[in-house]
Amino acid sequence: MPRAGATNSRHDRDEARTRRAPVRIDVEELGKSYGDFAALDNISLTVRPGELLALLGPSGSGKTTLLRAIAGLTATEEGTIRFDGEDATSLSLRERRVGFVFQQYALFRHMTVFDNVAFGLRVRPRDERPRPGEIARRVRRLLELVQLQGLETRFPSQISGGQRQRVALARALAIEPTVLLLDEPFGALDAKVRKELRRWLRELHTETGLTTIFVTHDQEEALELADRVVIMRAGRIEQIGTPAEIYDEPATPYVCEFLGGVARFDCTAKDGEAEILGGLFPVGNGDGDYSGPALAYVRAHEIAVVSREQAEGVPALIRAVRPFGPAITVELSIEGHHDRIEVSVPRELHDGGEIAVGQGVFVRATSARIFPKD
Amino acid sequence: MQIDESRAVKAALIATSFLFLGLVLILPLASVFTEAFRRGAEPFFAALIERDALSAIYLTLFVAAIAVPANLVFGLVASWAIAKFEFPGKSFLVTLIDLPFSVSPVISGLVYILLFGSYGLFGPWLIENGIQIVFAVPGIVLATIFVTFPFVARQLIPLMEQQGTGDEEAALSLGASGFQTFRKVTLPNVKWALLYGVLLCNARAMGEFGAVSVISGHIRGKTNTMPLHVEILYNEYNFVAAFAVASLLAFLALVTLVLKSLLEWRYGGELAASGRH
Amino acid sequence: MTVLSLPKRSPSVLPGFGLTMGLTLTWLSLIILIPLAGVFIKSAGLGWDAFLALATDARTVAALKLSFGAALAAAAINAVFGLLVAWVLVRYDFPGRRIVDAAIDLPFALPTAVAGLALTALYAPNGWIGSLIEPLGLKIAYTSAGVVVALVFIGLPFVVRTVQPVLADFDKELEEAAATLGATRFQTISRIVFPALMPPLLTGFALAFARGVGEYGSIIFIAGNIPYRSEIAPLLIVIRLEEFNYAGATAIAAVMLVISFALLLVINLLQAWNRRRIGFTG
Repeated sequence: MPRAGATNSRHDRDEARTRRAPVRIDVEELGKSYGDFAALDNISLTVRPGELLALLGPSGSGKTTLLRAIAGLTATEEGTIRFDGEDATSLSLRERRVGFVFQQYALFRHMTVFDNVAFGLRVRPRDERPRPGEIARRVRRLLELVQLQGLETRFPSQISGGQRQRVALARALAIEPTVLLLDEPFGALDAKVRKELRRWLRELHTETGLTTIFVTHDQEEALELADRVVIMRAGRIEQIGTPAEIYDEPATPYVCEFLGGVARFDCTAKDGEAEILGGLFPVGNGDGDYSGPALAYVRAHEIAVVSREQAEGVPALIRAVRPFGPAITVELSIEGHHDRIEVSVPRELHDGGEIAVGQGVFVRATSARIFPKD
Repeated sequence: MQIDESRAVKAALIATSFLFLGLVLILPLASVFTEAFRRGAEPFFAALIERDALSAIYLTLFVAAIAVPANLVFGLVASWAIAKFEFPGKSFLVTLIDLPFSVSPVISGLVYILLFGSYGLFGPWLIENGIQIVFAVPGIVLATIFVTFPFVARQLIPLMEQQGTGDEEAALSLGASGFQTFRKVTLPNVKWALLYGVLLCNARAMGEFGAVSVISGHIRGKTNTMPLHVEILYNEYNFVAAFAVASLLAFLALVTLVLKSLLEWRYGGELAASGRH
Repeated sequence: MTVLSLPKRSPSVLPGFGLTMGLTLTWLSLIILIPLAGVFIKSAGLGWDAFLALATDARTVAALKLSFGAALAAAAINAVFGLLVAWVLVRYDFPGRRIVDAAIDLPFALPTAVAGLALTALYAPNGWIGSLIEPLGLKIAYTSAGVVVALVFIGLPFVVRTVQPVLADFDKELEEAAATLGATRFQTISRIVFPALMPPLLTGFALAFARGVGEYGSIIFIAGNIPYRSEIAPLLIVIRLEEFNYAGATAIAAVMLVISFALLLVINLLQAWNRRRIGFTG
């Protein structure tokens, strides 16, 4: 509702404060260990202002520890963290002003939705604390932003998981945070709600423009949502890149396997090239003249089923067919290769009757990533 | 952890707790043993082997030997009915079993006097038939069972409820009889909680004072339990002897605490549902 | 002679419900319910006027006041220190923590007569503590203050043991969340932690209070038992019994039982509240 002048200009000022320039985060040589276990091992990373960054990795890879270290919730032994160049390591949590969304949301269960969102404003030092009317106005605006109008008086136990998630977000945004950090934001939700919230988080990020980091173990979520993805493994960064870079040019065998949907082959490279499934591909990492044992990763859609006449590929036997979806998935066994491999073929091939269990076919790789084996 | 209290605050809180616990718990315990040995070891042991003391020790053991097994059996029976079946009024029944915890021990003794005393409901009939309950050992046993009534059941019920009926159903489906199922499946599942309950039940049974004091009649050498004997000695200003017998009871309490803690540390998970009371 | 009829149950394949429920109800009725009912039957037999006269007798009222007042004071002291002890035991690590934890249950394990004896030895004018405070003009043993001291000892584990598990289960992330939102440590504890501890703290308070009201053994040694001043209600019951004044004893017992049952109801409601609070995670 547009209202008279005074309120409006105040509103604008407020808006301007929320929309100050997004913050850049520099993590330099960060280290943290629990006994012998290195949770973070010499991590360096720059998060660009306004970026939506995903920390991706399996459990125990250090991604949550890194997020908590940036928030100031976990003390680190080595390295520094800078917010816009300013050393944050010595700042208190209050001074850092990070919006942190916990995996289980950590909503205050004895407070209503309204009181949860208002908490961060009410605990400010007296001279910085907004007046009650102003707090109410801001809380309502945030609840509007997260589409939870009308739930102000409910308790956390009385709303759904997805709604709790959004309350947690609104609560984190209420303190006008410098950065927004989310720990497994969709981890506790069922598949359908996850998808919806994912799109919504993307929109919210566009709207707030905040530098945002989220942790996930779901590669699809990371690739779909983030501007850049950091893949972590055992306290180290394995690869940083845009989703396209990560997908097209995985830096290591680990990244290939973690992203999944690949078949792995042992092969031998000669002068920087290796032959796999009837195709010849260069060894990655610019290892131009590598010769020796190598690993090849081929994705399902990078294997073509070719007819017997063309016969330039490798013979394979169809073991199972999953005839649904835009492309048909076929399980094949290849002589000399232990695991069955999955291949997608166009529907027409299946409808033409060439694909059936027990039938022999020829396959050929159209693309592959080759890594020296060590 | 970044958000904890400062070291100074922690140290102050720990120190305050130590001071409070030292004053409230440790000092009284220490004083029992110091007073008992005030005149050396000889009067201490003399007080324990004196005839009335021995009969008090004997009576205490005798009463516990009846009351504890009685409540053990009751605890098992009641927790089977309550934990393994669903029926309306369950929580009310549990409250009734817990009732003795809310009743003053003195009243626990009084109720039996009102029933079985010479002016009581069954008094005349008992006198006619020459049965004495009040101011005699049967009354002491009854009052002890009353005050220790909930101890075993309240350890078992929450644990057995938490364990559910899956194991028993499996045993029955494999052809075991009802009693075999209880003995070979249910009992092993709750054995540590049972032991824990028995331990606490026994400590209370041997240490009960108020209820027993009301109903015993304080007949020396006949109806005196150890706690009552302590009182009599104290009232006769025989302090060393009073504290000697008291120290025996305190020692029993310490043994109970040690065993209880060992059970908690070793089998904490299997006692977990019992809420540690 | 069971007071309750066998409750209906939902079907189960397990055997023995009828037998065990029957035994439970019979035993419960014989040992607990019928004897307790005797107090009320006997009171009813007195007639209302006679009962009221006995229950409002000045010495009785003074004794009841002392029992309830001292229990209230001791429960309040235990609420404060019990909370502190529970906090220290759950949150901090220090040498001997497990032994201190085990020692909390001493009042459960130590016979009340022994506790009474020990406290008297400490607080009597020639005792370790009594001799220290006597020059200051303070007297604890043989006064109503002695009653409070005994009840602090008796009631401590109730508060610690009800608060402790709730505090141990308390989600530390809630404190972290409050801290990231800019709350000071004091604000976090007073606004986030403390509200969660209120239900168990009140429950522990009520349990300590209920136990204190009926306590006898630990008090009679230290209280001095001066009528109208340091004579507790359970002791007055004993005195009336020794005078063969069964009507007087019964009347006091009836009043105490009614109040105890009311307290029990309150405790049950508190615990239900407690469970609801804990029920939801996240």
